Amino acid sequence: ENISDFSLNVTDCTQVVVPEEVFFTVAAAGILENLLVLIAVIRNKNLHLPMYFFICSLAISDMLGSLYKTLENIFIILCKMGYLTRRGDFEKKLDDAMDSMFILSLLGSIFSLLAIAADRYITIFYALRYHNIMTLRRALVILAIIWTFCAGSSIAIALFSYEAATVIPFTILFPLMMFFILCLYVHMFLLARSHAKKIASLPTSTVHQRTNMKGAITLTIFLGVFLCCWAPFVLHILLARFCPHNPYCACYMSIFHVNGTLIMCNAIIDPMIFAFRSPELRSTFKKMFCCAR
Amino acid sequence: MSALRLISNRTSQQALSNSDYTWEYEYYEYGPVSFEGLKAHKYSIVIGFWVGLAVFVIFMFFVLTLLTKTGAPHQENAEPSEKRFRMNSFVADFGRPLESERVFSRQIAEESRSLFHFCINEVEHLDKAKQSQKGPGLESNTHFQEVPRSSSGMFEEDLNCLTKFNIPNFVNTEQNSSLGEDDLLISEPPIILESKSVMQSSHRILD
Repeated sequence: ENISDFSLNVTDCTQVVVPEEVFFTVAAAGILENLLVLIAVIRNKNLHLPMYFFICSLAISDMLGSLYKTLENIFIILCKMGYLTRRGDFEKKLDDAMDSMFILSLLGSIFSLLAIAADRYITIFYALRYHNIMTLRRALVILAIIWTFCAGSSIAIALFSYEAATVIPFTILFPLMMFFILCLYVHMFLLARSHAKKIASLPTSTVHQRTNMKGAITLTIFLGVFLCCWAPFVLHILLARFCPHNPYCACYMSIFHVNGTLIMCNAIIDPMIFAFRSPELRSTFKKMFCCAR
Repeated sequence: MSALRLISNRTSQQALSNSDYTWEYEYYEYGPVSFEGLKAHKYSIVIGFWVGLAVFVIFMFFVLTLLTKTGAPHQENAEPSEKRFRMNSFVADFGRPLESERVFSRQIAEESRSLFHFCINEVEHLDKAKQSQKGPGLESNTHFQEVPRSSSGMFEEDLNCLTKFNIPNFVNTEQNSSLGEDDLLISEPPIILESKSVMQSSHRILD
């Protein structure tokens, strides 16, 4: 009935639909995987270290992102089935809460990645003083500050999301953080490479370029995955703010659900490239599953 | 997000979208979008965005691999000794979380001592083994600057000397071989540069 009111062309961009089964499977997989990482770090005393706490922080923000998408889908289903009223005050507040959860997840991801990169940077460049600089207590304080800031910003952004002023800093923060993290890693990488060259000059050295090539691959994977999973959604927010009537923008916004699924895929991939690369964590997993059998 | 769902629902032809049509904020009153007279393909932003993203990631990868091949000569002389010491392990371990906390893992000390494969370690530990036999613990890492230019294949016999050797608090341990883990990106086994005594003392200090 309402559709006839829209002067839609035959070549309209229809909403690209992700099947709900796929959606819930991806979300559940992301939540479970990150929960496993958290449990493993909590249970193994050897993993009570700043580096793993930052990885846990990343796991929590990934879980929040997947949780948000799951809850949103559940609420849409409940709306379709008529259990929730459409204009209710409660639903609006719920909607606000869920939006802020999503922004919290995004900001938490960005800052966790930044913390992980900074931790590795200090590990490389301040190696001898690392354990004085990055004590457990300081790591926890840093995490508390990060999450308080993210929670405050997410609530503020969700409340004032209709203002253009909130969208712009949000979208500027994203590439800025990416660039900063890239710089940290490139600096570490340069140092590693120059040292590898020195090692390669030794007479008995068998180091070859493949080691550093793999460093390049790893770094590209780190940042490429984050970029490919979050940038589509950030672009969506920008386009929704600034050109909602433009047909090109509208066609981009029609793949909104695909962008949401990408964010949940990020929650699945992140533990693989951060947490599961640690042998200690993997052995903890094996012990957990072997004991469960 | 709710406002965005409204926008996406407006361009949809699904009947289902009408159910949450009015769930959103009323001030997002966008008019219908007309798709007439498009000059370019309607998905041009989508295609352009993804192509641009792929190009950027590939470009970043090539820049990083180029850094591998070309040099940055100004860095070669400016490194302090501690960075050089650290880079021994970092070179082989760039992609992994740096396992500095292994200093505290007592149970892996025994395993790590048997994981000596990397040739650089071979060269350097000859030097360290010789120096540890003279007795001094390591208060500073100045003697790491002397990388022995000659190598021999005798480093396995000197492995036991590592236990007496005090090295700075930051070490990197890789015991993936001993734990049977073999799924790193890196093919060469990493360097183990730690001693049990250092780990235990550091652990006691920091606990």
